[in-house]
Amino acid sequence: MNYKPDEGTLMAYLYGELDAAETEKVEQYLQQHPQMREQLQQMNNVRKALSSLNDVEVIAPPVFVDHEQHSIPFWKAGYFKITMGIAASFLFLLVAARLIGPEVTYSNGELRISFNDAPKNPVVEQSLTANEVQQMINTSLVKNNETIATNWEESNQKIQESLNKNLTTNSARIDKLISVASLASQDQVRTFVSGLQQENMKLMQDYFKLSSKDQQVYVENLLVDFTKYLNEQRKQDLILFQARLNNMEKNTDQFKQETEQILASIISNPEGTVRKVNNY
Amino acid sequence: MAETLPNSVMMHADALLERARQGDKNAQGKLVQVWYKRIYNFAYKFFYDHDLAMEVSQKTFISMHRNLAGLQEATRFKSWLYTIAVNYCREELRKRKASRSVSLNDFSPGESEVSYKWEASSGKLDNPEKQLRHTELSDLLQQCLMELSAEQREVVIMKEYEGLKFREIAEALQISENTVKSRMYYGLDGLKKILEKKQITKEALGYEL
Repeated sequence: MNYKPDEGTLMAYLYGELDAAETEKVEQYLQQHPQMREQLQQMNNVRKALSSLNDVEVIAPPVFVDHEQHSIPFWKAGYFKITMGIAASFLFLLVAARLIGPEVTYSNGELRISFNDAPKNPVVEQSLTANEVQQMINTSLVKNNETIATNWEESNQKIQESLNKNLTTNSARIDKLISVASLASQDQVRTFVSGLQQENMKLMQDYFKLSSKDQQVYVENLLVDFTKYLNEQRKQDLILFQARLNNMEKNTDQFKQETEQILASIISNPEGTVRKVNNY
Repeated sequence: MAETLPNSVMMHADALLERARQGDKNAQGKLVQVWYKRIYNFAYKFFYDHDLAMEVSQKTFISMHRNLAGLQEATRFKSWLYTIAVNYCREELRKRKASRSVSLNDFSPGESEVSYKWEASSGKLDNPEKQLRHTELSDLLQQCLMELSAEQREVVIMKEYEGLKFREIAEALQISENTVKSRMYYGLDGLKKILEKKQITKEALGYEL
């Protein structure tokens, strides 16, 4: 067997990209050449080592250059739109101006842009002389003064009249009222005073009646109470007296007993005393 | 047969592609959503740099939008997309070499991306310690990848992480299939040596594998 796989075939074998027949051949060769097998094994180890180098995570950028951007029709381009917009607005202004009919005049350092009818030069009125003006003012003043004076007098008169009227009516009313009042008051006062007197009298009588009754009752009560009190006092005193008497009786009894005892002791013990006497 | 899930998914993808080619904006947007992560990750592993990967993926999809209508065979969409991506990657690589601003980045690649990577890998591993170890390992593997030549790196990433067939890689890179396999072989061989040099043995990887 002179077959010797070249490097390429070995690589294809290592990565499993050989067809079945070729794979068979290479395996047979490797069985006969352990050196080669060892070498391939080592390469496989390298592959294993490499496999621990992982992919780096990355996120694709979402926006990408759009190559069709360049083929945008020129009438959609921004600058074209802007220029066309400006041109259209100018055109509109011009047409509008044309329709309205502008007039531009320049005179005496005054620029005037006007639409529709240009104003005609103002009609120069006949100028008035100072005297005329003065006269007009004077006449108007005089007129004014006259009217003011008449007005004033009129209003004055009116006020005067109305005042007089008011005064007369008011005084008449007041007089009437006073007379009525004076007439009425004399009778009323009299009745009022008499009424008052009667009321007072009644009040006083009632009061006296009430008070005398009350007083009677009060005094009676007082007397009853006082007698009760006195009775009570006497009872108390009697009890006290009794108690004292009892006490005295007790005392006398006690005294009696004591004296009896003393007498008894003396009697029962005459010798002792005698002896005592003797001893001295 | 047509009722099986992968088939219907493929049919859906084909229909999506067809609509996108006919100028359907919605379909084009969806196409971007579907492929963005793959292209970004391809570029990220190629450069080990977030900004460059973002730039390349955005350029790729802008180009896709412009040229999708001109794509003749829908079946070649995948390799066609990777062709665009690889071309932009190479362009960026040339720019970087020309500007010489690379050296610092190469010295400690991904240093500025630490916070980003923390974010990116969060949620996959529950244990913080595990996560730290994992990020360290990822960094290490990524550094190993960066030591390969650009040609080998392209092929290895496409094969190992993007799951393209050798035929598709050949189409994408517009080279022969044998060349692709050869680059893959030497790429793996190179990686093996680099791993040995960095003393990343099978045992060291044991807790991860």
